[in-house]
Amino acid sequence: MTNKSINLYFCNAFLILALSFFFNSLYAAEGGPCKDYGECDKFKYSLNDMESLQRGAATYINYCYGCHSLKFSRWGRVAKDLQIPEDIFFESLVFDKSIKPGDLMAGAMPEDSVNWFGVAPPDLTLVSRYKGDDWIYSYLRAYYEDSSKQYGVNNLVYPGTAMPNVLLSLQGNQRLICKDIAVIAENGGEKRDEYGNTITKEKCGFLEVEEGTGELTKEEFDTLIYDLTNFLVYVGEPIKATRERIGWYVVFYFLIFTALSSLLYREYHKDYN
Amino acid sequence: MKERAGKLFSWFNTRLPIINTFERHLSKHPVPSKVNFWYLFGALASVTLIIQIVSGIWLIMPYSNTEEEAFSSIEYIMRDVDYGWVIRYIHTTGASMFFAVVYLHMFRGLLYGSYQKPKELVWIFGCTIYLAMMAEGFLGYVLPYGQMSYWGAQVIISLFGAIPYIGESLELWVRGDYYISGITVSRFFALHVVALPLVLIALVFLHLVALHEVGAGNPEGVDIEEFVDDDGVPLDSVPFFPYKVLNALVGIGVFMTVFAIIMFFFPEGGGYFIEMANFQKANPLVTPDHIAPVWYYAPFFTMLRAIPDPLGGLIVMAAAVAIFFVVPWLDRSKVASIRYKGIYSKIALTLFGVSFLTLGYLGTVGVTEVRKIMSVICTVIYFAYFLLMPIYTKYETTKEVPKRL
Repeated sequence: MTNKSINLYFCNAFLILALSFFFNSLYAAEGGPCKDYGECDKFKYSLNDMESLQRGAATYINYCYGCHSLKFSRWGRVAKDLQIPEDIFFESLVFDKSIKPGDLMAGAMPEDSVNWFGVAPPDLTLVSRYKGDDWIYSYLRAYYEDSSKQYGVNNLVYPGTAMPNVLLSLQGNQRLICKDIAVIAENGGEKRDEYGNTITKEKCGFLEVEEGTGELTKEEFDTLIYDLTNFLVYVGEPIKATRERIGWYVVFYFLIFTALSSLLYREYHKDYN
Repeated sequence: MKERAGKLFSWFNTRLPIINTFERHLSKHPVPSKVNFWYLFGALASVTLIIQIVSGIWLIMPYSNTEEEAFSSIEYIMRDVDYGWVIRYIHTTGASMFFAVVYLHMFRGLLYGSYQKPKELVWIFGCTIYLAMMAEGFLGYVLPYGQMSYWGAQVIISLFGAIPYIGESLELWVRGDYYISGITVSRFFALHVVALPLVLIALVFLHLVALHEVGAGNPEGVDIEEFVDDDGVPLDSVPFFPYKVLNALVGIGVFMTVFAIIMFFFPEGGGYFIEMANFQKANPLVTPDHIAPVWYYAPFFTMLRAIPDPLGGLIVMAAAVAIFFVVPWLDRSKVASIRYKGIYSKIALTLFGVSFLTLGYLGTVGVTEVRKIMSVICTVIYFAYFLLMPIYTKYETTKEVPKRL
């Protein structure tokens, strides 16, 4: 075998391997992180959208911070990164007036909170990093009425969750319902009976909000959760936007470096040959 | 002025072999004139070692090695230390890149017979470096004291417990406590930042001295020392500086580009470089759903899991690493390079590569019945590659190796 054909041989071998991994992953579908919800909804963060982050921070502080601390993050840093003037930030979002900008967002929960929910509400600074943004975005929208639970709600993404649906008044009553779904025929179209009517089959597990029970429409609520999740992505890694911005410069620098060094290498090899 | 500088230099040079060493190991050191990209990974490994040492020194400054503060000091580095996140991501990305280049470097060795006479010692020092790196990587992974640090350490340290008679006391001795605690973290810290780096540097030094004594190899497996000019310099060689240095510089450029892309855009490496569960502080009361090692240990972890008996698993895993040390005596071929070896060697090496990668994949996913069988098959192929080597390398038809490069 010549040098070329050896390379080709190895390339082929590894191509086959890569393909086998691909098929393996297709057939080895495991229960996903979003449990009964099925596939998690995809979340695409936008860390340069300051308005979204500001709205998310406001929602977090108003609805979540009472129980969930952000103990690795500092008040002043959030104000600065989210471009909120410090006086406005402290005036409208920080309720404890003894807090200084350099303080950590250590939470307002008393020690005995374990007795209230069975578990102490976790710190959420890093939740976007250990649960993932898709998970948070799906979880916060997957509550449904379940009278068998302590707080009257359950969650498709996290069945048996200890957290009550804090945003219930905004979202309204979401129920788990069954729907008649058109049966798909073998040719890919809807299956019809001999009179031309679509054949349907009842399927359960759909979430539907009872109209008029919440302060927000479905779209408004989804936006609220989007902003909240976006804020949690920011808090999980405050330098994420900076990192991605600087990254382009660094990569560009090394590309130039590579180009120049390969030109120099060629120049030297000319006189050697 | 110039004269004075010259005098000062010669004062040093008569007391310290500056020029001699510089010429022997750098400026005039002869290297084969024709090599391919596979020969770059050694240089890249040294670059990564330097990156790890320098970024490591800066990480030690704000890191706290106590049970209470280890985890939060990492977040302190990521948030409050100026550019602390750059240093930390350099170190985490560097760890994975170090293993990546070393695995490719080792594969190059198998591909072109870089262990054959007289390079046995170079190879053995290299294998020892790999062993030290595995320990270094494991110790470092425990330091952030996240969930995966804790439970990974739990799994690895309990391996010592599988050793008969002394196992339990050994386990206790390594851990320094009855369970993993701040004591374990602080002793792992000492080993990670002082003991093992010293060992690594010493081994790299020996690896290079031995290499320069016997000369670097080439993809043809030609002995370039056979044809030399009047000064004893091999005809098929070029001086290390500037040819090899410039060649390496291009490689370093490409490598650093890849490094930067990972570090700035995918620092968690999709959960393979920094596992998601490690963003939660160690909690002895909650076991993560799925304990997986970082990708570079995954092949060996799969072997451990493939054997139902803990001691058997430990022996197989240890043997999988140890067997690399005897490769110079397993290969009975007359030729070094895969280019001139027979078809059996080519098939064997491909199967080995495929089984190693498959074992790696299996180590990062959960266990199913099919995967269990696959991991046993791949473990068998892995060992067969080495154990059958004396036979297939001896009885296959090889091609004639040219005299010159």
